[in-house]
Amino acid sequence: MELLFNIIVFPGLLYLLLWTVALFWFFRKFMAPLHKRVGPHFNGPAGSYQTLFDLSKLLSKESITPRHVNPYLFSLMPLLAVIIAALPTALIPWTPGITVVPSDYGLLGLVVLIGIEPFLLFLTGFGSHNKYAFLGGIRVLTQMISMETAFFLAALSPALLFGTLNLQTIVHTSGWVSFLVLLPGFTLYFIALLGLLEQPPFNIPDAEQEIVYGFYTEYSGTNYFLLKLAEFAEFMALFAGAATLFLGGYRGLFFDGYLWLFVKMLAIAVFMMILRASTPRITMRQMLRFSWRYLVPLSLLNTAWVLLAKIYFFGGAQ
Amino acid sequence: MKRILRLFDAFETEYVEPYKSSWIKAKLKRQDDLRAVAEALKEEGLRSLVTVSPTDFPDESRMEMNYFFEDLQTKRNCWLKCDIPRTPDQCRIDSLTPLFAGADWSEREAFSMFGVDFADHPDLRPIIVSQDFYGKAPFRKDFDWEAHEADTLNHLKTIVNDFEKEQQNSDANLDPDGSETVLNWGPTHPASGPIRLKVHCDGEEVIGIDPDIGYVWRALEHLVTQKDFIGAIVAVERLCFMDNINSMVGYCMAVEEIAEIQITPFAAWMRVLLGETARISSHMMGLGGFFNMMGLHTLAMWNMDVREFFLDFLESYSGARIATAAIEPGGVRYGLQSNMLDELQKALDKFDATKEDIRSIFVKNPTMKLRAGTLGILTTDMIEQYALCGPVARAGGVRTDIRLDEPYAAYSEVEMAYITQETGTAKDRFTQLFNELEQSVDIIKQAKKRIEAGIADGEFNPTKDHMVKVPKKLPKGEAISRVEWARGEVLMHLVTEEKAKSPYRLKMKAPSFNHTMMLDHLLRGQTLSDIPLVFGSLYICQGDLDR
Repeated sequence: MELLFNIIVFPGLLYLLLWTVALFWFFRKFMAPLHKRVGPHFNGPAGSYQTLFDLSKLLSKESITPRHVNPYLFSLMPLLAVIIAALPTALIPWTPGITVVPSDYGLLGLVVLIGIEPFLLFLTGFGSHNKYAFLGGIRVLTQMISMETAFFLAALSPALLFGTLNLQTIVHTSGWVSFLVLLPGFTLYFIALLGLLEQPPFNIPDAEQEIVYGFYTEYSGTNYFLLKLAEFAEFMALFAGAATLFLGGYRGLFFDGYLWLFVKMLAIAVFMMILRASTPRITMRQMLRFSWRYLVPLSLLNTAWVLLAKIYFFGGAQ
Repeated sequence: MKRILRLFDAFETEYVEPYKSSWIKAKLKRQDDLRAVAEALKEEGLRSLVTVSPTDFPDESRMEMNYFFEDLQTKRNCWLKCDIPRTPDQCRIDSLTPLFAGADWSEREAFSMFGVDFADHPDLRPIIVSQDFYGKAPFRKDFDWEAHEADTLNHLKTIVNDFEKEQQNSDANLDPDGSETVLNWGPTHPASGPIRLKVHCDGEEVIGIDPDIGYVWRALEHLVTQKDFIGAIVAVERLCFMDNINSMVGYCMAVEEIAEIQITPFAAWMRVLLGETARISSHMMGLGGFFNMMGLHTLAMWNMDVREFFLDFLESYSGARIATAAIEPGGVRYGLQSNMLDELQKALDKFDATKEDIRSIFVKNPTMKLRAGTLGILTTDMIEQYALCGPVARAGGVRTDIRLDEPYAAYSEVEMAYITQETGTAKDRFTQLFNELEQSVDIIKQAKKRIEAGIADGEFNPTKDHMVKVPKKLPKGEAISRVEWARGEVLMHLVTEEKAKSPYRLKMKAPSFNHTMMLDHLLRGQTLSDIPLVFGSLYICQGDLDR
């Protein structure tokens, strides 16, 4: 019974849908004043129904499968993308009580599931039989390969520090000192997160002005809805991952609970949006150069720093 | 100038005479001399061939070719004419493209519109027009538009078939196992606007670009001849709606020159005031477009916010925000009321309040510098060779600005200087636009002060002085006028017949035409990511590209 509740309501399907609708709205509404606009306005209080309507519109629209594509690959990938993107929610400790799949290898699962996602997006582009979609797919792959090294190394630094892959233990044992020690790791994680989520300045794979809409180009209707859902599930997985690994998850001042986790995720989202409003996109070459010349060496250095910190501040390995 | 006059001694000419302050007007007797004269002019320093404009005279069975040569450095210009026969098989003249690279598209346009054949042109394909006009010369006076309308139906499928054949060819000519492909960047691409760039690329790397233009061809130059001299302004202002005022100023100057009338000082100052407002409205969009091309829409939104205030002023003056039709031969269309200047003051205040934010966030943006700082370099040599103009030329360090070179309206009394950048990169073109915004605001302040002072001491009567009467019928004549439009130099070549009620021929040379030619040169060897950025930095508008 409890498992069913977890799957359907929290932190499963309904929560995911609500998160998508709310975050989508929040992105729009938060971006608007930065652009000196109003944003969604007419439907519901402060336009809050707008995204709900948009998503339901997408669901009811005709889903067009272009000629010459493999229809199974074309329509299966969005579905798979949602499932893979939503799975990490099962591993994350949402509240002191709720972790759907408590595991000693939670972090490993999280990192692997996040790592698979771009490959599915590449396959959507590959299966679209469209030059722009294919270019988008190639760009996703390139970006994934160059960003994930740094991402893995950064995400594993808490595991090194605390000597465990169990996410619950990581949340429990984190504190102010560990937060400071992991601060460089958090910065690296955040930069890699921008790359994995295709956010400016790394929104190269769906660069609208260059390759139309990248791997999304041929998608419409339900399939497009599923891809968008996957994107927001991916936001959730990465934000929640950051909050859990580096910011102490659900723990907070005065009381522990989901609210703190939510606030931390939102803070990351806000920071991401401010970057989005002020930073133009860089090119593929610049991204590659940045990633391999600076990001990866720095994350190796960060690993060394965490190990040193562990030896000198945390009394070495048990 | 004397050297240019003397240069014509070696050739047989019907006349050689100075025209305006900086032009020599000459007509050759023999068309075979054209290339030799052009070569001599080029050696003399007139390295830019701005445009080629044929005029069709069926009654005299001749086609008059007009060539406009400019020297961007010393501001000496030459207007060269010569007659060629107009029968289709003899309508032939030497191409100047081997000497002046910038003549390439101009000659292709003359070929498409008038059926002039250019010998030795390297790539004489039709441009702008679609397949149903191929081989038809729509701008000739005896072109039968009705017969063409009837014939259009036969061509409905041709365009589709040709497109499909072209796609198949481009696939077949490339190695099927290689990574080369031809991308259609436009005409429905998110960043392209109505233009199609055929991008031949290898993965992300650009091998070559062939622009296909004409998607918004409205045949404005033909449309003008169907209207009376006042009605023509609505066709002229549609050159590009961003800066509609200055293109009308150019046209009206040509009409006034033929009618031999002088506009009042008040109208001249109003032209400066309105023209700079329109320039600001255009530059605001240009600046925003540049960042849009890098996926950042914030600047465009912020600029729109400021731009609205300037449009408020245009609306209070003319009743329309975009297509104002506010300049008319003889002056400006409406009188001025004091509350209109209050609107302008609000806009100026808004600009001053937001300027520093935009400078610190966008003009000094490190990511923008990283991307655009070394990209799309236009050297002085290329600018002269391809006859580039306006902000694009000035960003490459060429001191050219018609407002200073050949002052019109009241610009001779305005205090202003050339604004230039040094290296001609995409970033320089962006910075150039921003600096020109500040210059325009400064000019508006001067004009506003002058107009207010003039009204205060009774020198100007704002409700009566705005217009002098222009006769409805104009004498036979011919004139050229140049204005510094937002995107660069617009050259209008107007021809009228005896007792004409409407223009006989109006050639509008618009900047984007030459600028689009540069895409291929600037983007070879770059990546797909650089296409929108360079495209945006060249400040191209499809309106004046296709006309």
